[in-house]
Amino acid sequence: MTAVLICLLTMLGLQLLTPYWWWVMIVPFAYGAAAARSGWKALGTGFSAAGLLWLGSSLFLYLTGSGLIATRMARMFGLGKSWLMVFVTALIAAVAAGVSGYAGYAVRALVKKQAK
Amino acid sequence: MRWIRAIVSLVLAAAIFWGLDNRHGTFPALGKLLNPFSGFWQNGSQSDAVPEKLVVPGLRDEVRVVWDARRVPHIFAKNDHDLYLAQGYVAASLRLWQMEFQALYTAGRISEVVGPVGLRQDLFTRRFGLPWAAENAVRAFRDDSKTREVVDAFTAGVNAYIRTLDRKGLPVEYKILDYRPEPWTDYKCALLLKAMAYSLSSYNQDAAMTQMRNQGGWEEFHIVDRLFPFFPPLIDPVIPPGTPLDFTPLPVPTRSGAEGGGANKDGESGHPADSRLGATPSDPGGFESPGYRTGPGIGSNNWAVSGKLTRNGFPILSNDMHLELSLPAIWYEIQLSAPGVNVRGVAFPAAPLVVAGYNESVAWGFTNGTDDVLDWYDITFKDDSRAEYLYGGEWRKTIVREEKIKIRGGATVVDKVVYTHYGPVVRSKDEPPFTNMNVPPGAALRWLAHDASNELQPLYALNRARNYANYVQALETWDCPAQNIVYADREGTIAIWHDGKFPLRWKGQGRFVLDGTDPADEWRGWVPRGHVPHIKDPERGFVSSANQMPADAGYPYYLGWDYAPYERGARINEILAAARDVTPSDMVRMQTDVLDIRARAVLPRLLDIIQEKPATAAEKKSFEELRAWNFEARAALIAPTVFRELWNELNKLTWDDEKTHDMERMTRPASQVMVDQILNYPDGEFFDDANTYGSIETIETLTDIAELAFRAAVANLEKRLGPCGDAWRWGKVKGTQLRHVARIPGFGREKLEADGIGHVISAIDTVWAPSWRMVVELGPEVRAWGNYPGGQSGNPGSPYYDDFVDDWASGKPYELVFLKSADEPDPRVVGRTVMRGKK
Repeated sequence: MTAVLICLLTMLGLQLLTPYWWWVMIVPFAYGAAAARSGWKALGTGFSAAGLLWLGSSLFLYLTGSGLIATRMARMFGLGKSWLMVFVTALIAAVAAGVSGYAGYAVRALVKKQAK
Repeated sequence: MRWIRAIVSLVLAAAIFWGLDNRHGTFPALGKLLNPFSGFWQNGSQSDAVPEKLVVPGLRDEVRVVWDARRVPHIFAKNDHDLYLAQGYVAASLRLWQMEFQALYTAGRISEVVGPVGLRQDLFTRRFGLPWAAENAVRAFRDDSKTREVVDAFTAGVNAYIRTLDRKGLPVEYKILDYRPEPWTDYKCALLLKAMAYSLSSYNQDAAMTQMRNQGGWEEFHIVDRLFPFFPPLIDPVIPPGTPLDFTPLPVPTRSGAEGGGANKDGESGHPADSRLGATPSDPGGFESPGYRTGPGIGSNNWAVSGKLTRNGFPILSNDMHLELSLPAIWYEIQLSAPGVNVRGVAFPAAPLVVAGYNESVAWGFTNGTDDVLDWYDITFKDDSRAEYLYGGEWRKTIVREEKIKIRGGATVVDKVVYTHYGPVVRSKDEPPFTNMNVPPGAALRWLAHDASNELQPLYALNRARNYANYVQALETWDCPAQNIVYADREGTIAIWHDGKFPLRWKGQGRFVLDGTDPADEWRGWVPRGHVPHIKDPERGFVSSANQMPADAGYPYYLGWDYAPYERGARINEILAAARDVTPSDMVRMQTDVLDIRARAVLPRLLDIIQEKPATAAEKKSFEELRAWNFEARAALIAPTVFRELWNELNKLTWDDEKTHDMERMTRPASQVMVDQILNYPDGEFFDDANTYGSIETIETLTDIAELAFRAAVANLEKRLGPCGDAWRWGKVKGTQLRHVARIPGFGREKLEADGIGHVISAIDTVWAPSWRMVVELGPEVRAWGNYPGGQSGNPGSPYYDDFVDDWASGKPYELVFLKSADEPDPRVVGRTVMRGKK
């Protein structure tokens, strides 16, 4: 839980300071490579942290002025309901972060074994 | 095992990264786009907040921008430089993406953004010489010190805005298409003007006309001139017939035997092009079908009514310019005020100044002139290298312009465009047709818009005009596209000038493809500016135009033949001729008039023929709808749908059989010719089905054709729309669309139901419609009303993106806020921004 929170806050900070989306892959990867106890833990942490971050931020914007643009984007993507954009946004970040966290752990596991 | 796990997960992560960070075909880069911190989520209405203070580098003094409730900026500056710099900044803040996309489109660079799907369009744009035309215009801008100051300031303003943008602040289309704005330049302003010139002065039927003329028997019976007359029936020209000339005409060029466009007595003009073209059977695949037809028929209306006819005794000017509907809209509203100028109206986002509008003394507006300023010249090249061509008995060298088209995610295509002294060869002999235009293969293009011209100069002067003399002087440098520029002022003057630069030609010159080898086929100088069709304060108390023929046979110069059909012009003049005690609200109502005078003219006759015949239920219902119709093109009615289909079938059955086997498709004659045939020649030869020519027993007349057409029309509609009922209502069938400029789904307004059709005053059709409606009353306090299909903001995530559309569709205008100073209190003012060069 602490790990999720730390990941989330780190990504939040980096995303506020820079325009890059890929912090939601870099940070979980780093967490997986540096601190995760297992591959599944790394995956779950990345998935939850990034998913929650993008869910929360997009939902906030959805409710405070970005509802119209979400409606148009949903139509562009052929999605029936505008709130689906919040869902898709969160899901994309969660999956990308989860896979990235897992990959981070997998790489560390490899290095650790060789070190032994 | 660990190795496999590591490699698989890394590859998967990398694939996800790559997949989300890049565009795939037209599918956007999802990672960037969905990122809540800098992607589309940042393009909501949060960015609509009006800043109180702004630092805009380059400003010399303080500029104040007052925003009204419709988000119209009213800019108050202390000098011209600051005024246009602020306009550039504000225009970019409202419409940057649209401005740049239009510029890239006209520069033939759309492939850089959209990839290989844009190549064919870019190729056409380059071949047509649009970038070249804009380069020539830039030179003209720079030659005039005033224009240069205006354009440079505007450019600096746009760039000042672009520099404030981080990724988060970019318009959403940049994020979807994944690219960034490049610096603005004066060349991009020129591209916009050339885009308008293309849209308004490139329509031509020269290739189709040439092919028709070359049909066996056509020339002998003067069929081209009868179907496409120089002075068509029913037309009420812009300048009232009988208006005396106030100038001494120059001698008009003649071309022996070619008078009347080759329709001479013996069918042989002695013109070398004639014999050459005549000797070579035309290639059936050589001309593409002119199905795109976006020329006459679409257009605009303007009129001015003298104080003699108005209730308050002040002149009233009305204008509605019809262009292709889009979101963001083609116009935005603005007020520009500085010492020496206080003007209000609409502007193009990508260029400085107000284009159509009014100031404290005068008002002006446009309709397209629709004259012929584009000709094709058949070129005889020495050999396949196209390095030399025959002209006046000598070989001249061509110039090759290399057009490099960069394609996103691909190679750069280099296209070598061959230029003669006329202009570019748009399509080579062995090339497939372009969908954009019916281009005669191997011909060189002579187009007025290629010549260096500076239309910003007259606009600058019109923005500042105080009286009729200022207006006339401003018009002297308006070259292309030619326009009917209507005028009214507070002194009570009304006027209209059919203004532009017109080549001096023999009658019919350029109606057919011309002979590029013969210097006698060249344009011979220009119609003097004081000699263009014009009228001031006419006896009848009003002036008007609707893209129709500018003047009747009494006018000495030949300007073109393919003008708008008669309906809108005749309807406007019919209403105004009976008008007394006119008020601005009468004029507003008149702009939404949907009476179809074509239907009014022919339908009683057609119904007489059809009345005994309806057989099926749908035919009976259709007949009843037509009989009960008041001729108004209302969205809720079924009759306009049936009448349009009936009209199409009538035309098809009347004209399409005239073509011969080697003519793929014939351009159909204009509506007034058809109306004339129905009313005056019901037993005429054109109604006879040419497939039964020579067969004496089967001579078809209007009676046969009308019955067939009615049956076919109803059958078509049933097939397409189902049983006659709700689905047949005109508004549904027409389905007016405001498509997004880049056609992004979900970003436009589809299936809008609105009254009107292209040939009534309120010409709301499927994609062409009144793009700006304006009514101005020139009293002691100038008052004006206006509306356009769109909204001030270019941001699809803002409520200001399309907030005028519903009122526009229902014909409701807004009273326009026109301030005397930045401090003037007005309840409709909602925000003020102070701009300074430094903090």
